[in-house]
Amino acid sequence: MLSWSSSQTGGQVHLTSVAAGAADNGVDHGDVILRFATACAGRDDDELADARARLVDATDEAFMVDAAAVAANFEMMTRLADSTGARMPADVLEQRAAAIGAMGVGELTSRR
Amino acid sequence: MTVAVRSDLAEAHRLAWEHLAAPGSWWTGAQRIELATTALVAIADDDPLPPWVGISLAGRLPDERVAPDMAHDIIYRIARHAGTMTEDVYRVAAEALGELPYVEVCAIASTVGAVAHFCRNVGQPVPALPEPVGGEPTGERPDELAAAELNWVPVAAPADRWPAVVQAYTAVPGEQHNTWRMAAAQYIPVDEMVHADWMRRRDGLTRAQTELIATRVAQLRECFY
Repeated sequence: MLSWSSSQTGGQVHLTSVAAGAADNGVDHGDVILRFATACAGRDDDELADARARLVDATDEAFMVDAAAVAANFEMMTRLADSTGARMPADVLEQRAAAIGAMGVGELTSRR
Repeated sequence: MTVAVRSDLAEAHRLAWEHLAAPGSWWTGAQRIELATTALVAIADDDPLPPWVGISLAGRLPDERVAPDMAHDIIYRIARHAGTMTEDVYRVAAEALGELPYVEVCAIASTVGAVAHFCRNVGQPVPALPEPVGGEPTGERPDELAAAELNWVPVAAPADRWPAVVQAYTAVPGEQHNTWRMAAAQYIPVDEMVHADWMRRRDGLTRAQTELIATRVAQLRECFY
């Protein structure tokens, strides 16, 4: 979805940078957004507070709230997918082989 | 610092908490709130149990319980270690609990996960869970169930017409409704998902920014899907 949405709107996202948590990911404000998303999924409250403040400084509070909500949504959807054994059809997996390789997720326990 | 949360999002989370306290299709309100509490414990646990250790054996649950040990064990694992779930674990849990009660437990875990993490993400405390609403489980289920190719769990027939994540909770209609109401407020309304240029508001997150967050969180949660 990230590659698709980026290409559809004229951008080019760097999946290997996203996977590595690197700032040069090809998305507007991608550095502060990625840092915030990483902190949301982490356990360090001080890092999260700092990442949140940086995101608000770069955008605004409403933007940060929307970003926090998207992160929360994928806390919901990852639990939904992994607890119900959600899998992609074989043809979709084939189409996404490059993205799977770039993200380095092919060996995860949750691959089905 | 108090953060202003837009009204549709605040309302979706308020309704989600209210939903947890009401009788579900297969669990009473008291059982659902007890299981939601275990999910909150799992998410906040500074010394988490390994995925293969059940919380019911770890002395971390109240002595008096209304939900079975297996339900507590599985909701702790889903809430804290969802990426480690395997089909074998699902089969054991579904055998003990029933397939549809298992689906309802998954939905309690994912609902709690969304609200608890949102609160942490914006730097606010997690609201207290409501008092359970009395009454028996409703037994609500689709007219017809089907085995799915794209999920372990059974779904409302016909199976596999929709993506796996969309059909995952259809066997428990109340959970399906609550989950997608939350997703519309947190992420994107279902009808808008095909639009790469959709934005919730002017100067808000672009679709690429939205998917950047989604991708990073899913990667760090080790969710292949």
